Amino acid sequence: MARTYRYAEQEEFMDKLRELLQSGVGKEQLQLYTPYHLPEVEQLLALPPGRLRLFPLIGGLGGFFGGLALTVYTALSWPLITGGKPIVSLPPFLIIAYLLTILFGSLASFAGFLLLARLPELDNLLDPGEFSNYFIIVVAGERP
Amino acid sequence: MKSLAAREKLEQDVLKGLRRPGKWYLLGLACCALLFLGALGLWGYQLSRGLGVTGLMHPVGWGVYITNFVFWVGIAHSGTLISAVLFLFRARFRSSFNRAAEAMTIFALMVAGLFPLIHLGRVWIFYYLFPYPSQRTLWPNFRSPLVWDVFAISTYMIVSLVFFYLGTLPDLAIARRRLSGIRARIYSVLSLGWTGSHGQWKQYGRLYLFLAAFATPLVASVHSIVSWDFAVSILPGWHTTIFAPYFVAGAILSGTAMVIILVVPLRRALQLQPYISIDHFEAIAKILLLTSLIVSYAYLVEYGLAFYGHNQFEMELFRYRALGHYRALFWLMIVCNSLVPLTLFIRRLRRNLAYLFAVSLLVTLGMWVERFVLIVTSLAHDFDPYAWGTYTPSWVEIGITCGSFGLFFMLFLIFVKTVPVLSMSELKERL
Amino acid sequence: MKRDTQAVLLAAGCGLALAVLALGPFGGGLGPLLLALSCWVALLQGCVAVAATCDLVKARWIGPIRSRLLAPTPLLLLSAPLFLLFWPQLQHYPWSAGGGRYLHPEFFMLRNLAALLLTAVVALAYAAAASRKQLLAVVYLLLFVVCQSLIAFDWIMSLEYPWYSSMLGFYFITEALYAGLAVACLLFWRRLRAADPADAQARERLRDLTSLIFGFCILWGGLFFAQYLLIWYGNLPEETGFILRRTGTAPYRQMAWLMLGCTFMIPFLGLLSARVKSSPAAAAGISLVILGGLLLERLLYILPVLTLAPLATLAQFFLLGAPVLFAWRRRAAGGAGES
Repeated sequence: MARTYRYAEQEEFMDKLRELLQSGVGKEQLQLYTPYHLPEVEQLLALPPGRLRLFPLIGGLGGFFGGLALTVYTALSWPLITGGKPIVSLPPFLIIAYLLTILFGSLASFAGFLLLARLPELDNLLDPGEFSNYFIIVVAGERP
Repeated sequence: MKSLAAREKLEQDVLKGLRRPGKWYLLGLACCALLFLGALGLWGYQLSRGLGVTGLMHPVGWGVYITNFVFWVGIAHSGTLISAVLFLFRARFRSSFNRAAEAMTIFALMVAGLFPLIHLGRVWIFYYLFPYPSQRTLWPNFRSPLVWDVFAISTYMIVSLVFFYLGTLPDLAIARRRLSGIRARIYSVLSLGWTGSHGQWKQYGRLYLFLAAFATPLVASVHSIVSWDFAVSILPGWHTTIFAPYFVAGAILSGTAMVIILVVPLRRALQLQPYISIDHFEAIAKILLLTSLIVSYAYLVEYGLAFYGHNQFEMELFRYRALGHYRALFWLMIVCNSLVPLTLFIRRLRRNLAYLFAVSLLVTLGMWVERFVLIVTSLAHDFDPYAWGTYTPSWVEIGITCGSFGLFFMLFLIFVKTVPVLSMSELKERL
Repeated sequence: MKRDTQAVLLAAGCGLALAVLALGPFGGGLGPLLLALSCWVALLQGCVAVAATCDLVKARWIGPIRSRLLAPTPLLLLSAPLFLLFWPQLQHYPWSAGGGRYLHPEFFMLRNLAALLLTAVVALAYAAAASRKQLLAVVYLLLFVVCQSLIAFDWIMSLEYPWYSSMLGFYFITEALYAGLAVACLLFWRRLRAADPADAQARERLRDLTSLIFGFCILWGGLFFAQYLLIWYGNLPEETGFILRRTGTAPYRQMAWLMLGCTFMIPFLGLLSARVKSSPAAAAGISLVILGGLLLERLLYILPVLTLAPLATLAQFFLLGAPVLFAWRRRAAGGAGES
């Protein structure tokens, strides 16, 4: 059976959390709900940095090379000289590549966020758990 | 003391803004909507009669529409500055302003995006600007700064939207709990089932950091790219390398002024004084002062170097700007952007909201005029005296410009009644 | 006390030696002096500017190293007398035959001298200040902007008269700050090496600093690109000459790429990694690379215009650098106990 602790104050919550961790409760048994972001919780649980950072990296790299490929390919597919500039003009093409780096990097990070935070929760989209002003600790029952 | 009661009170205070609108609100909304509708009508008129109804004529082919475009893109900038740059610098006062500023960014970009379309004339073929394999087998010309703009503005718009939405996610979940009926359902869907579990917060915190890290260079590059619309040409007064940092500073100057213009009345109307303190306004005022100094530095350098190199075209253009046909506007811009903000060196004035509001109005005016002077004088007075001319905007252009303000404020008013105007879950950290 | 006297004697001796060398037959003309002075003044002023900015925005990362960063500030007083050595060699500037009212020899000397002196005095007052620190910081930063702009436009840009680029002042200001941050990073490394390796707080602050360096790296890249793009796009003969002289022929071309690599690409790619950001040794290595890149850039400005005799250049560069390095060494040795 799961036990639930509910606190109004951050300090009590942190104390209890420390106590639970010291008494040997595994972090995978814990489910914590806080009204705001508490980086201390992550430090306390020693959560690994996670895979989210891969998303901006892959998205950004994809955007950069995609942008370069798009500009170079389209310029070559209709090689018309304008303004006395070379057909493949890297300086302006870098601007497009740079912008697409940011665009795809951001979008990929957002997609990664939805994936890793398991949002949206379709099952309880209309009737989700409460996001309250309390600090809540749920300890799942001991494993066999 | 981070107490429960304070958090509850914060939620009540902020969500009060979402109550049924009052008389004055509806009146303001109606005025803004009327202005906007009027502008739509004028645009229709322009579409039916052609661009001849504007004052645009050889040699000045870029006028008020492009001025508005640059102006509104500039307004957008301080939103990202406050939400992303100040986040990276861990400036805590940002949470008083960030939601309103982010919303402002999106609305200003929406307004800005309209102006190139209005300026196009044949707006129905605007999609030629996007790269897609088409029957015409023609791609956009990526060497053209106007195509960079398309990419820069759309990227900026999308990233700002994502950033804004992410920030509101926990607050939408609070609104879901506190409201009832159909509204609760809407907020419930929009909040994607957010529960505030530590797994969600962890990813949230990381994503916020990544987005801030992406948005920070983006904000600097978007207005740089807008400035290059001018600077890659060889026109005197346009072709100068300082344009990128100068435009970015100017953008943040005008945007910060607009944030003050929006937040001062907002704070009063929704009684948010406990959450947006005078200290926070003072911090914003310092940003205004700093960017004003950078802009003044750029004016000075631009002028000085026009005479340094003894290039006669540059010298003549800068003489014309200060003493020629548009001299009144030029000096207005100097007074509003360079001189008036200097008074903010005085601490008492920085902390006086009425004064700050007045300065912001002047700066907004000054920055609009700056773009006008910059765009029009260079076109009106280029290399060949035989091609010189002047430009006066027509009533259609002036009407559409007023309508753009109507649209902007209308969108902002709608925002005030639909989204919590302060970032509650962030403010709770501070309580 | 004794070490203070040593420092003053060393500074005076080096300054004097530099003056004698620069004025003598083996001085090598204006080039070596210009290189040494523009580099070291930018570095020192940048360090003070970093400290002043941190004071104004109440940045906490600088705490452990602030006094060390400011240690060589008094040496800025040397800059004005050394700048006087430009006077007999102004004929090396292309405008000396007639540059109009602005580039007029007397006016050139006077305004630069005034700017250097004022900046040095205010910097000194700021570094020693116990009260009114904020006010002095603001005044110093304003003077710093003026002084670095003058160095950019007068000392360096006018070598290529009538070529001009209005961004150069802004660019030099950024570079001075960039260099100041790199120095701060080196000082952090020294401190962390001496202190307890598990000094978590100092490590956390190092991360703030390296993130800032990363930001400046991108800013520098953006400014460089903005200037290059406009000259490339405008394609005007009077402007492109400046770039062609620095990228067109053999030694400069490679130097330009190396410079770009050191100031932008290596720090950018390196600092992308969180591990590098929080490792003092790696961050210090990258800072050294950045400083090297900035030095290379100054070389690239000067070398195509003025001759730089290798020995004279090295001698003058290190004569000016020795007291600066000594000041940092002394601080590090004397201030190990401070927190």
